This record gives sequence, structure tokens and C-alpha cells, in this order.
Amino acid sequence: MKNFLIFLPVTILYLSFKSTIAPGLPLPDITVLAVLFMAYERSSVEGVVLSFVLGYVEDVFNGGIIGTTAFSLVFIYAAVHIISRRVHFSNPSVRAALAGTLTLTKGILIWILLSLTDLDVPFLPRMLLAATVTGLFAPVFIAFFTWLKAVKIPGVAGGGQR
Amino acid sequence: MLSFIKRHQVILASVILCLVSLHLVSTTRKGTGGDVIVRSVLSVVTKPVQSTLIGIRSKVVGVWNGYIYLVGLSEENEGLRRTINQLVEENNRLKEELGLNARLKELLRFKDKTPVKTVAAEILGFSSFGPGGEWMRTLAINKGSGDGIKAGMPVVTPQGIVGRIVETNRFTSTVLLLTDPRSNIDVIIQRTRVKGVVEGDGSGGLILKYVRQLDDVIPGDRVVTAGLSTIFPKGLLVGEVVSVDKGEDNFFKRIELRPAADFRRLEEVLIVTGGGISMKQGKMEGTGAHEPFGRESGRKRRKPL
Repeated sequence: MKNFLIFLPVTILYLSFKSTIAPGLPLPDITVLAVLFMAYERSSVEGVVLSFVLGYVEDVFNGGIIGTTAFSLVFIYAAVHIISRRVHFSNPSVRAALAGTLTLTKGILIWILLSLTDLDVPFLPRMLLAATVTGLFAPVFIAFFTWLKAVKIPGVAGGGQR
Repeated sequence: MLSFIKRHQVILASVILCLVSLHLVSTTRKGTGGDVIVRSVLSVVTKPVQSTLIGIRSKVVGVWNGYIYLVGLSEENEGLRRTINQLVEENNRLKEELGLNARLKELLRFKDKTPVKTVAAEILGFSSFGPGGEWMRTLAINKGSGDGIKAGMPVVTPQGIVGRIVETNRFTSTVLLLTDPRSNIDVIIQRTRVKGVVEGDGSGGLILKYVRQLDDVIPGDRVVTAGLSTIFPKGLLVGEVVSVDKGEDNFFKRIELRPAADFRRLEEVLIVTGGGISMKQGKMEGTGAHEPFGRESGRKRRKPL
């Protein structure tokens, strides 16, 4: 978990950046990419907990319903953990497609949870835009995360089960 | 058993945390609850980051407007360019100060005319929730419980209602915007005095609910707070009717409103700290409190907001 704790300040920085410099702009969903990276690099209980924490922080920061993003990120972590037993995400285009799909999944899960809590929210076409942008930027950010991990603890870049 | 747990520990942990998340969703629905400590820590951590980022943005915009556009002119005009740079920079600064001055004057005028105690605050940042970023919206302001701000206090501008405080920390507060689906306000149509409830539609607009098919509402009608709840004082402008449909049922019309306040251009707001929450019904009537929004009668149309 120590290796991945860096994602907490990265997420907070990202959320601060999003709320001040680029409110309303379609930015890649860093939390989804971080969860994808953690689940793929080294699946562990700590990774699940950190995914929950990242979702919780995003919920608190954005003033949303607490638990919705946390639920979707934990779900995404479990999904990647299961999928990664059979599929290798070494190809950038596969990573991009998966990141886009996972962003869409996150949006749909949040939408379902909000609908279940009687909050009538529109199923926005911007969800597709967010998924596309996240997919396009996924290879760059995953390379950045790999570098970040290597800088933090030299010699463990790419270290893990795969 | 132990080996099964060990083999599937990630899945089991995921299931447990999913259940915990669902529990959190069910306990904090329709609110912004959550752990006060986490919110306070986040607020303390992010306030300097947000302030720095806003400062950087202003500097970058200033440099971009004041210098980069001018790069590329011929060398003969170097001196002139320097002068232009200085003038542009000074002009930008003066324009910015002029804008700030005008906004503050407007706020002061509004504050003087409003018979309630208010506190001015600057906006630190906008937060949006949902993948498209439009489902739920809150904004952070630079006044918190240390300045006497409490949850539930209305947040207004001279243009109209912005929302209400939902969270306070020592230095900052969170404002739930009017357009958030969790927001609902008792309102009255200024022209016909028909009552209804305004809710956010989750995509930046407002919906006026519970207006009967018989009631007289037309596009262009201005909608103000009814003062029925104990949160918002009476007579504050909420928005303007943009469309009126028959709706899906035979009882109520479907009415869409445009918010009076332009949330994209907000920089300063006023928080009603006294009188707004516990104010007696109708206290603002006849005091001129809603004059800034223009009192009008009959079918006279207003200019677009």
C-alpha cells in the first residue's frame, strides 16, 4: 500500500486543479486510472482500501452523496482484479479501451445509485466524453504512474505479480 | 476456510467495502453528510492549494493577455511594444480593479437595501459531481465557522439566490447551489402570486413544481422566494420562467426556469447571517429589499436576465 499512497496527494491535487483551473473542462478521470493501475500492478486488500479512500475523498471534495464514488471505485478495482487474471493490459490501446470502459462503468454505477436514492439526474452524454478523454489519456497517465512509483521507491517499477 | 479467505481476500474485501459504501449512500442520501473530520482535514489541505492555483491562473491569464499576444511584432517597434505591454498590463489591472469595484459596490448597495445581516465571501472553487460534472454542484467559499457562518444560511448575490451553506469548517464553507437536485425552495411567481417549489434539475437549470394547470404562468415570469420556509427571506429573485409545458399528469404544469444568478461568473457572494434564518414572515415586504430585482406588476416583461 505504501507504494500506492502517493495516489492520495495526487488525487487531492487533481481535484483542486479541476475545481479551480479547469472547472467544466473534460479532464481524464485520474481516480479511475489510479485504481486501474493499482489493481493491475499489484492486487491486494490494501489496494481495495485505498480505492475506497480515493472514492470517499472524491465524494467529500465534490460535495456528492458520500459512498457513491467509493462504491464504484471499489467495484472497478474488483473487476480489474478479476479481468487481469485472463487479460494482459500491456498494449496501450487495450489500456485506453479498458480505461474508457471503466470510466463509463463508474458513471453508470453512480447514476444507478443516485437514481436509487430518488435523485432524478439526467444520463448525460458528457459521460461518454469523460470516458473517451480518460481512455485517450490512459497510456500517458499509466506511464506517469509507473515513473512515479519508480521515483518513490527505486527498483520497484513494474514490480508486482505480473 | 482460511485458505479460501486468503485466496479470495481481494474479492471479499471488495464486497465488504461495497456494502460499507452502500450503507454510506443510504445514510447520507439527500445530504452532504460524511465525516466532519475528513471534511475539515481536506479543507485545511486544499484551501492553500486552491488559493495557489487560482493565483497561478490569474498570473498566467495576465501574462497571456498582457504579453504573449504581443510577441512577434517587428524589432523596430520594440520600444512601442514595451509601452504597449505596460499599458496593457496596467489596463488589465485597472479593468480588473474596476470590475471588482463595480461588483463590490453592487454588493454593498444590495447589502444596504437588505434588512438582514450579511457577510461577503470570495469563491475558492467550484466542485462538480458525476462523470459529466453536472449532476451536483457545490462551491467553496473563504468564510467558515470562524466567521460566524453556519449550515443552512442562504447565499445570495444582487442578481439572485445562489444556494445555501451545507458544510462549514473553520476557514471555509461549502455552498449547495440552487441548481443541485437536492436543493428545493418555496417560491412565488411575482406577477400572479402563484406558489410552487423550485428544484435543481441536475443539468444547470431549475424546475418549478406543483403549479396547477389552471394557474397563470407564462415564459418571462419572474420567480421570487415565498418566505414560507425559515431559510430564505421573502422576495429574493430565484429565476425566470423559460418554458411552460402541460406536463405528464393532468394536475401540474412542467415549468423550466433559468437561474437569476449566473453561476459561471460568480466571484463574490453574500451570506445572510442574521435575520434570514429566523426572520419573521414578510419582514422584507415593503422594505425595498427586493427592489434591486425590480418590482413589477401586470404583464410587463423584464429584459432577459
